Amino acid sequence: MRSEMSVFSSLGKPGFLSEIQAFIAITRREWTIFRRYPSWIIALLIWPLIFPMMYILTGRALSGPDGSGLAVFTKTTGATDFIGYIVIGTTVWMWQNIVLWDVGFSLRNEQMRGTLESNWLSPTWRFSYLLGHTGPQIISMAMFVLITAVEFGLLFGVKLHGSIWLAALVMLASIPAVYGLGFAFASLVITLKEAHAFVFLVRGLVMIFCGITFPISLLPGWMQSVAAWLPQTYMIHGMRAAAFANASLTDLWPDLRALILFGAFWLTVGYLLFTWMERRARQTGAIGQY
Amino acid sequence: MSDFAIDATQLVKKFPARPGTGNKTESASAPRRRRWPFGKREPKAMFTAVNGVDLQIKRGEIFGLLGPNGAGKSTTIRMLCTLLEPTSGTAHVNGFDLVKQANDVRRSLGTLLAGERSIYWKLTGRENLEYFAALYHIPATVARQRVEELIERMELKDRANELVEKYSTGMRQRVAIAKALLARPPILLLDEPTLGLDPQAARRLRELIAELKQEGHTILLTTHYMEEADQLSDRIGIIDTGRIIALDTPEGLKQRIEQKEVIRLEVAGWHEEIADKLKSIAGIENLISRQQAEADVWEVNMQAHNSRAALPRIVEHISGNGTRLVNMNIVKPSLEDVFIHLTGKALRD
Repeated sequence: MRSEMSVFSSLGKPGFLSEIQAFIAITRREWTIFRRYPSWIIALLIWPLIFPMMYILTGRALSGPDGSGLAVFTKTTGATDFIGYIVIGTTVWMWQNIVLWDVGFSLRNEQMRGTLESNWLSPTWRFSYLLGHTGPQIISMAMFVLITAVEFGLLFGVKLHGSIWLAALVMLASIPAVYGLGFAFASLVITLKEAHAFVFLVRGLVMIFCGITFPISLLPGWMQSVAAWLPQTYMIHGMRAAAFANASLTDLWPDLRALILFGAFWLTVGYLLFTWMERRARQTGAIGQY
Repeated sequence: MSDFAIDATQLVKKFPARPGTGNKTESASAPRRRRWPFGKREPKAMFTAVNGVDLQIKRGEIFGLLGPNGAGKSTTIRMLCTLLEPTSGTAHVNGFDLVKQANDVRRSLGTLLAGERSIYWKLTGRENLEYFAALYHIPATVARQRVEELIERMELKDRANELVEKYSTGMRQRVAIAKALLARPPILLLDEPTLGLDPQAARRLRELIAELKQEGHTILLTTHYMEEADQLSDRIGIIDTGRIIALDTPEGLKQRIEQKEVIRLEVAGWHEEIADKLKSIAGIENLISRQQAEADVWEVNMQAHNSRAALPRIVEHISGNGTRLVNMNIVKPSLEDVFIHLTGKALRD
């Protein structure tokens, strides 16, 4: 092996730009690895259809052979397109579900693979490892939403009655809350080594309390109070209003404001839990334990 | 600047003991926790993995850290590379405080832990190196050049654009070492660098380690291979039960038991009763036996003050009862014999 002329000044140059460069590298790595598992294409094409179909077919059965029951649905929800109504709810549920699995288990997967320690050995800001997982996840989720819209538009004739941009704005405002919760999960998972029970609990809460296929006004009062503390309630409400009820920015403001506040809360909780986990791992050696 | 690349004083690392692991525990001086809701306190059992390690490693030397499994060498390395925080004690790496200047410590180190598992198998060799170069904050233009240099040096050029999952173990290990060298760190921590490599790959890696020393790197090396430690290390520290129990040059360590002889036997049909009988012979100590790859043949090593006097009784105990002496040698003590003398265990125990 060829000898190297070396003088020991480290080639690393610490600074803000270097941290940005490291963050971009983490994002690029995640995206590259994601693309190299071809099953993602199938998942992206099929999943948007399968999960809502269960509710759509149930809705069709309940509406009767002539669809007369749909009038009751419209009266209760104010929505004329029950398929679009369901698809918005199930898409939000799937988004949160995927984030809990993908981002929530990102550090744990690195730990199982054996690469977490080698990342941790570098001088990069450690929260970047979680943030870096977020970029590819958001891109794949945007593709998921786009494919959902195309598939239901072509196969079921679902049409927007509102602004796609305002619906996108609600999604954008939801990102801090959805991913903040994912960060909090990631820290718990690395500490507890598994958190499947928590994932099932959170997605169960979203499914029951946030009205993914029905209006929360149907819920008993105490359940509506619980729903008011879940950001997904505002995401679903805001996106339905923006996409199918011609809501204006002013109409959407209460949902947007709630999402921004929840986002600030969950990002803070996610960061604090990560910091706690990182320190605890240094004391207990949890990073190297499988 | 300090003469020492690594300067550790009284490093201690305690972990909460996990039930059922058989780890030794202590409770008297351990922190006590409250048992809710009655306010009673129960002692929190602690396991001491490293128990007051003092380590001064000079700049430019290769320092071998040897110890049986569970002796504390991995915990020591993990503390020195900032993955673990010491319970007490202080350490400076390249002049930086281990706890207060952890990021400067990380910048000073190139670390090989977990070998081939420390890199991404779904990335190519080149992509791995470019990725880690960014994590070590190497500017992009410098990184490109550095990655090319290391790909060439590690003889990976022909396959640098293939996924690591298609590499052999030796190639993956070379990528992992290239990763450790990326930022041109003054100090390298190499944990079992040749583990799992075929003899030829291991030899090439040892040559590389010797080259790195020539270039001025300080190297802290842990290994299970005594010959490797003997061949490469300027000094060796032997760690057992969390303490450095001997620290010297390989020659200095061997001189410690020079007055002893080592009797090496190969025995067919070996059983523990014979071991007990041999241990009862006056002047025989540190008897270690291990089964060879060849079925039913055991290699038995023991140290003797006077082998001539002990041999007739050894032969007498071994002969008969279904056992057979296949081979016997009296040799000079090796580093492994020193290790057995000090720890009472073989390195692979």
